[in-house]
Amino acid sequence: MTLALELTGIRKSFDGVVALDGAVFAARTGEVHALLGENGAGKSSLMNVASGLYAPDAGHIAIGGLAVALAGPADARRHGVGMVHQHFKLVKPFTIAENILLANPRPHYRSGIQEIRAAIRAKAAELGFEIDPERRVDTLAVAEQQQVEIVKVLVGGAKILILDEPTAVLTDAEADRLLETVRQLARTGAAVVLVTHKLHEVKRYADAVTIMRGGRTVATLDPGKATAAELTELTVGQTAPLPVRADSGFGPTRLNVGGLRCARGDGQVTVADTTFYVRAGEIYGIAGVSGNGQAELAEALIGARVPLGGEIWIEGAGNVGSAPPVTRRAAGLAAIPADRYAYALAGPLSIADNFAVANVHSGHYGRAGLVDFAAMRREAADAVAAYDVQGVRSVRQKAALLSGGNAQKLVIAREFSRKPSVIVAQSPSRGLDARACAAVHERLLAARDRGAAVVLISEDLDEVLALSDRIGVMTRGRIAAEFTRPADRQAIGQAMVGHA
Amino acid sequence: MHDVRATALQDRSAVPPAPAGRRLGRLTLDIRQHLSPWKQAAFLAGSLAIGLAISVAILDVAGIAPGTLLGELETVFNADSLRAVLVRAAPLVLVGLGAGLAFRVGFWNLGLEGQMIFGGIAAAGVSIYGIGPESTRLVFMGMAAAVAGLLWVLLAAWLKMRFRVNEIIATLLLNYVAVYFLFHLLYGVWQDSKTAFPQSQQFRPFERLPELGLGVNSAVAIALAAVLLAGWVVHLSRAGFYMRFISANPGMAKVVGISTRAITIAVVAASGAVAGLAGFVNVSAQESRLTQSFFDGYLFSGVLIAFLSRNDPIVVAVVGFLIAVLFVTGQTLQVFYQIPFTMVQLIEAIIVIAVASSEFLIRHRIRWTR
Repeated sequence: MTLALELTGIRKSFDGVVALDGAVFAARTGEVHALLGENGAGKSSLMNVASGLYAPDAGHIAIGGLAVALAGPADARRHGVGMVHQHFKLVKPFTIAENILLANPRPHYRSGIQEIRAAIRAKAAELGFEIDPERRVDTLAVAEQQQVEIVKVLVGGAKILILDEPTAVLTDAEADRLLETVRQLARTGAAVVLVTHKLHEVKRYADAVTIMRGGRTVATLDPGKATAAELTELTVGQTAPLPVRADSGFGPTRLNVGGLRCARGDGQVTVADTTFYVRAGEIYGIAGVSGNGQAELAEALIGARVPLGGEIWIEGAGNVGSAPPVTRRAAGLAAIPADRYAYALAGPLSIADNFAVANVHSGHYGRAGLVDFAAMRREAADAVAAYDVQGVRSVRQKAALLSGGNAQKLVIAREFSRKPSVIVAQSPSRGLDARACAAVHERLLAARDRGAAVVLISEDLDEVLALSDRIGVMTRGRIAAEFTRPADRQAIGQAMVGHA
Repeated sequence: MHDVRATALQDRSAVPPAPAGRRLGRLTLDIRQHLSPWKQAAFLAGSLAIGLAISVAILDVAGIAPGTLLGELETVFNADSLRAVLVRAAPLVLVGLGAGLAFRVGFWNLGLEGQMIFGGIAAAGVSIYGIGPESTRLVFMGMAAAVAGLLWVLLAAWLKMRFRVNEIIATLLLNYVAVYFLFHLLYGVWQDSKTAFPQSQQFRPFERLPELGLGVNSAVAIALAAVLLAGWVVHLSRAGFYMRFISANPGMAKVVGISTRAITIAVVAASGAVAGLAGFVNVSAQESRLTQSFFDGYLFSGVLIAFLSRNDPIVVAVVGFLIAVLFVTGQTLQVFYQIPFTMVQLIEAIIVIAVASSEFLIRHRIRWTR
């Protein structure tokens, strides 16, 4: 059988960070081919190359045995490659038919939309989807939106269907139905690529599996012939010997989270009954596959999201769950959020302003009536030097001009200038190069050694393993398992992906 | 032969059509990361000059030669006209301040006129019911006006916070409520019994803002005091520092421990209070009574002044003064050269567009690429 899609030697880097390093992938017509790997392994990047969204730095793409150079997603569509992204690309106030017309343009609206409606009905009947082309997308449930995305791609004539984490947003029953449909689709002459990090889906629905780690292809094998343990090992890699660290001994409990419940913006409860504690001088790592409630947990801890229920107890402040952030910050909480420009920096304001803002309230920069801006600039300049923030010509320049790593260093400089007793860090090294990443880790360890209680929420298992004294694995809004250093990487991997 | 042409046409339709005038190159827009304050000022000055040049050209066509125009402008600065300009400037500066303060915390207060109306009503009420001794009557009137304006804007703020009613709609529509309440009073219980006009009876001498000497009315002093107070809060105080964060990134401001809610409410309240004071200044210094149109046009002017001064209280004073000069000159031109009032509004609009386009040039770089 000829290969429907073949990718060889694909390299892609973003701003010096290598995402794909000689990745290889091949899928046949008629099969469901799973692409397995941890977050950041390069799965989505590789498929974005296949669907024409990213232009690779090096490597070859062949479709149906012919070498092609894809000029963009529209070009990939012409070659029969269609991708359903993890985050749906639908225009919410438009109807289903209009959305599909948008992706598959016709020269005339009136005749085009008729044609599209007919095509939608035909495809939906074929797949067993109940889709009314006239419904507005914002009235659809998530599973229905996904069906629309799939129909959209198929109406475009796709023979190679790429689904990026399709079941992440679905319930188990919905996921099973979808994967069943997808398998049918493959049997009737399509090649389906299923990007996932869920082992059981691979075992149950895939005909072949390619495993990626760190931007490289590790193996391609038949999931029927490999055990779950083997797949896990290939996915998370060999256990690296962890550096031995002198235990400073833990102090009293500084942060106690009990039965915490939070809902996402769309009302779905993503943190359900999360319970853990962190002691002084301890780093508590929270590992897990993204989308299991970590984002909402982090927001609740730093005060950006009011929880539905439960308790966030901080030493010296009591239960601060529904109190405004100012209360917990007064009690010594430092926040290093994942989304720096949403919760940590004001881009249009100066570096000095951004550095000083957290300490103004305490009266450190003058009285309420007269702020000492000169002191702010002086101390910001000192901090920029001490924390090695690069690319600063003047502390008066806008914070938005800093690169990701340097912006993060600025955030850490500010948060640590307050000698925090509790630190909440979410993906603190995301998007940073190796050097900046090491610097951030060093700071967190130093804070721990000073006696701070640190919560480290990260999807990067290596980061969690390297820094944490204890590790909680978060799945479906709960701490499903806890491990103590030295933790078994395989066991954690199992707890993360093997669940359910 | 025929077939060949058909395929050729089809081929061309498959390729996206080349942009028109491709041979000439095209304009591309880049977003500027940074522009020095001097260059920003130069862009602003340049745009303003162009706007003024267009205005002068239009007036020239309307029959007012540039030379005469210059002469008229000069006369604005003689003592008599200057007094008129300053009295005109006081309420303008106050509404400009009211708009600018609210805009600084991202609250679009378009209810400046409603707040002015209630300011005027409260001040007139103090006068009509003779509240407080004569010596402090003016102080009472001013305070009542500020409180009334404050309460009226807080109604909209409460609607926004409690029911998520868009404050643009709420403040704007509450203006109508205020207007009709004013009419209700002026055509009813507060109607002047002597003249039977829909206006309140004239204020007594001690209820009118006095001249301070040198042709400066105390209304100007009130406006200046408000400007200095707001300037101090915005530029020097802790609250002003926090306000920058609230407008730049409200989510971050909250997480970093700023009481965004309290500061926002306080600033919005101040905005309403200042607008209420503008109403007081207008009825007490200009009209000497509550009339049915003392607020007319101040919403637009207030927003305009705030926009032109980029919500900076100190600059508001300067811009407010210049707008007053424009109004007074416009009045003279209307009277002596019979140009319509719409001409004055047109010039106002041209200058706004000129400044707005300078903003665009400051943020973007236009390049010609081939």
